[in-house]
Amino acid sequence: MIHLENISKRYQVGDVSVSALDNVSLTVEKGEFVVVLGPSGSGKTTMLNVIGALDVPTEGQVYINGDRLPLVSKQTDRFKFRRETVSFIFQSFNLFPSLTALENVQLVLDMADAPDAREKAIEVLNDVGLGERINHFPHELSGGEQQRVAIARALATGNPVLLADEPTGELDFRTGVQILDLLRRQAEAGKTVLVVTHNREISRVADRVVELSSGHIISDGAPRGGKVSIAELSW
Amino acid sequence: MTNLRFWLRWSWRDLRERWLQVAAIALIIALGTGTYAGLGSSMPWREQSYDTSYAQLNMYDMRVLFTNGSYVNGEELIAAVESIEHAGWIEAAEPRLIAPTLVDVSDGEDVLVPGRIMGVTISEDRSAVNGIHINAGRSLTAEDSGQPRAILEYNFAAYYDLPPQGTILISGGQALDYVGQGMTPEYFMVISDEIGFKEESDFAVVMLPLETAQTLTDHPEQVNDLVLTLADEADWETVRAEVEAAIAAHFRGTGVSFMHTEDDPAYTMLYGDLEGDDQIFKLIAYLFLAGAAFGTFNLSSRIVEAQRRQIGVGMALGLPRRLLAFRPLLVGAQIALLGVVFGVLIGVLISNLFGGMMRDLMPMPVFETPFQWGIFAQAAVLGIGLPLAATFYPVWRAVRVQPIDAIKTGHLIAKGGGLTSLLARVPLPGKSFTQMPLRNLLRAPRRTLLTLLGVAMAITTQIAMIGMLDTFNEVIDQGEQEFMQDSPDRMIVALNNFYPVNAEPVLAVEQAGPVAEAVPAIQLGGELLRGNDSVEISLELLDLDNPLWTPNLLEGRLESDGPGIIIAEKAADDLGVGVGDTITLKHPRREGMFAYHMVESEIEVIAIHANPLRYLSYMSRDQAGLMGLENMVNVLYLNPADGSTATDVKRVLFAQPGIASVREVGMFIRIFRDMMSLLVGFMSVVVIAVLALAFLIAFNSTSINVDERAREIATLFAFGVPVRTVTRMTMVENLITGILGTLIGIGLGLLSLQWMLDSRIETMLPDLSLSVVLSPLALALAILLGVVVVTLTPLLNLRKLTRMNLPSTLRVVE
Ligand SMILES: Nc1ncnc2c1ncn2[C@@H]1O[C@H](COP(=O)(O)OP(=O)(O)OP(=O)(O)O)[C@@H](O)[C@H]1O
Ligand SMILES: [Mg+2]
Repeated sequence: MIHLENISKRYQVGDVSVSALDNVSLTVEKGEFVVVLGPSGSGKTTMLNVIGALDVPTEGQVYINGDRLPLVSKQTDRFKFRRETVSFIFQSFNLFPSLTALENVQLVLDMADAPDAREKAIEVLNDVGLGERINHFPHELSGGEQQRVAIARALATGNPVLLADEPTGELDFRTGVQILDLLRRQAEAGKTVLVVTHNREISRVADRVVELSSGHIISDGAPRGGKVSIAELSW
Repeated sequence: MTNLRFWLRWSWRDLRERWLQVAAIALIIALGTGTYAGLGSSMPWREQSYDTSYAQLNMYDMRVLFTNGSYVNGEELIAAVESIEHAGWIEAAEPRLIAPTLVDVSDGEDVLVPGRIMGVTISEDRSAVNGIHINAGRSLTAEDSGQPRAILEYNFAAYYDLPPQGTILISGGQALDYVGQGMTPEYFMVISDEIGFKEESDFAVVMLPLETAQTLTDHPEQVNDLVLTLADEADWETVRAEVEAAIAAHFRGTGVSFMHTEDDPAYTMLYGDLEGDDQIFKLIAYLFLAGAAFGTFNLSSRIVEAQRRQIGVGMALGLPRRLLAFRPLLVGAQIALLGVVFGVLIGVLISNLFGGMMRDLMPMPVFETPFQWGIFAQAAVLGIGLPLAATFYPVWRAVRVQPIDAIKTGHLIAKGGGLTSLLARVPLPGKSFTQMPLRNLLRAPRRTLLTLLGVAMAITTQIAMIGMLDTFNEVIDQGEQEFMQDSPDRMIVALNNFYPVNAEPVLAVEQAGPVAEAVPAIQLGGELLRGNDSVEISLELLDLDNPLWTPNLLEGRLESDGPGIIIAEKAADDLGVGVGDTITLKHPRREGMFAYHMVESEIEVIAIHANPLRYLSYMSRDQAGLMGLENMVNVLYLNPADGSTATDVKRVLFAQPGIASVREVGMFIRIFRDMMSLLVGFMSVVVIAVLALAFLIAFNSTSINVDERAREIATLFAFGVPVRTVTRMTMVENLITGILGTLIGIGLGLLSLQWMLDSRIETMLPDLSLSVVLSPLALALAILLGVVVVTLTPLLNLRKLTRMNLPSTLRVVE
């Protein structure tokens, strides 16, 4: 599904060159639930952004479904890719403050010209447990509820790849667990899910953990100490 | 302020980050203050130039006019005047000989116009009364005395682009060499007695040595006019009484009338215009300032609000409020400084543009354009005060917020807020993203309102300016239609006196070769009275069944049993009368060959005519007996014969004795239109400035919107929403603002226009019946400016959108 080949990303600030990703290669299969783990500044967000075509690597190729991402020059292709293939979930939610929960979700469906957008949006919001709050504005929702709206929004697109950057970062333990569970169920339903975190505990629920350090992949495989069910997590 | 440099560096970074917006605000302020300073400067310039010009050429303090047809010996007149008790008060006295004439300067192009010759004393010294400023060629000298040499009035010469020296023909086929072109105070603005302003296209004044004039008019040694300058301490009334007595004693039976400087039509017109223009210019300048104020307030408060969280953090860190307020206020100060610098530049530019235009359009012997420190200082104070006030209020609000609220993630930004909640449960039609623009607008109603009002002010100014032109044009069109009717080639021949219908000069006109048919008429000055109200009129007595022209009526009928008068709608309104009412007509009545007395007659209003000029009134020539003028004529209307042109007619009649002027009716309209072109010039500068203002306000507001919503926009991009969709949403937002702003602007513009008509035009041009008219073009321009330009500005942000750094915009919390 996703294949990174020798990806490097460097930033030049004045005389200082920062290497966010250094020769990273990675393959993720359809339906996998992968957690990207690493300390702050290790390049997790950068990697996610490269996969999601939000960012362009300095070197290397990205293949999605065997197609090479036409990354470098064509902005319109990147937009199309994001519209049809990936969906983002952000640490700070990034909901549209002037739209209600329902409208935030409906928006992406409307953009894709989906029929029955409203009904579909309500359905997805029901799925994430927000059926009661569909007409609330983001500022009338708690952080966890906002994140669920954000997930509903990402799911509503129907795109096969979900990219979540620290989705639990602003949430408390219980809520974080619920959100994580929600994401894992998406993988079970056939989506490819990548979750970024710097929290090793969270990584234990994944099928597979990719660990980054200073822009390198230092390990890739089942969680250390074995996979646990969400109920077993202790934060 | 322990470390000023630190703060300066910090605010410099603020500035650099938003340099485009800061520059745009500064430009908005500059347009406001610059227009203020530029328009403001042109007033003192004009006033000073008028003052200096009149003073330098010794404008008369008193003018003595001899009744039509009276002449006295020039030297005897001077002797009589110098014999009065207070002769010491008279500084200079100059007898003149003035006579109507026709002037032919045809040179390839036909230029044949009425005018007057003015015989003046040739003196080299500058103390002469009503001196002549030479614009081209040379002045007259003692050697020219008695010779056929003259100075041609400059406004006329300039209108027809005549060479500095040349030859002209005047009545009787007499050739004159004009040795130069010059200006004299009575004709700083050319006004004959007939129309009232800017007649240089159709009135030529020829100044020549007194002796020459006396020879040409066959009045050797004689004069019929006297101008005096008086000492400062002189009592005008005393001098008048003494001069009147002296003239009565020396020249028995000679009627005279007196004029003050203020009675001079050009003088009154120029200074009167100044006052009226000042009011209009002030209105424009204030509208501009208001627009700039809304723009500035809106934008600088946004810059401050963007810093609110940082202010909150500062407060949490325990920094004193005044220190926290310092940084945003510094931004305000920087905007102010930049605004004032730009403002002075724009002010200088605009005032020079106006100065240049005035020099061209209203030439004066002396045109002084000193830098107006006072006005620029006022503008600078405004330019500094405006942005400071505009930043002060939001800063004050910001530092009063509880730190905890200010720090809350996206305290302001992430909130729905505003009127959005009102709409929350109201399902709007259309897809969710089509509603976003409206939601965004409602989210910040105060900002929306300020942007809207800024655009509205620009449109208001534009509508008021162009509406004024439209209104005038409408009157001119109406007048033209009414004057022309079915005989657009009609001409008016004025005789130099009243003649019996079968007298030689009348027959000469009627029988002239190029004349198809001629209709005799009488033209008189008069006054309509009712209660305390009065309206000065020009009364025309004509045959109301003549084949050439009769007035179109709005009401009433041409025929009447008794004496009846047809008056203008505005005269009827001003006097509060209607058809069938009786009013008092004050008019001259002839008693003896040259003697007239003003008498009052009661007369019925039988109809209202369609001409917007208030002073036009008509009666049947059958009633000339009322004036003691049965079967007398002083005006003839005529149509040129087939195959003859107006110039043919003029050329033939030119040679006839007894004819004062020959004009085409179309000329009246041309003079009005020339007047308009002057206005159009001024307005076009203002309209360009307005365009710039509206554009800047829209641009800035859009660009700040984009900054403010950067994260939302980045999120849309992350979901693959294309740039064009985002741009379209911004455009819809602007479209709504633009439409509302334009509507408000059109409303306010019409109100301002009405105000200008009521307050200024009504007093300046009481003879015009004006009602607010807005042409489709003015509306189209308002829509172009307020809706189209405002809607299209988001396109200028395309670059900003396509270059947006998505990862970092999405990552930052604010
Ligand atoms: N725009 C930029 N300019 C310069 N350096 C950058 C930029 N963006 C990221 N970096 C650098 O790249 C490296 C990787 O950043 P990245 O955001 O991917 O880290 P991360 O693993 O997501 O960290 P965190 O857990 O703190 O979010 C960091 O050292 C960072 O400083
Ligand atoms: Mg990160």
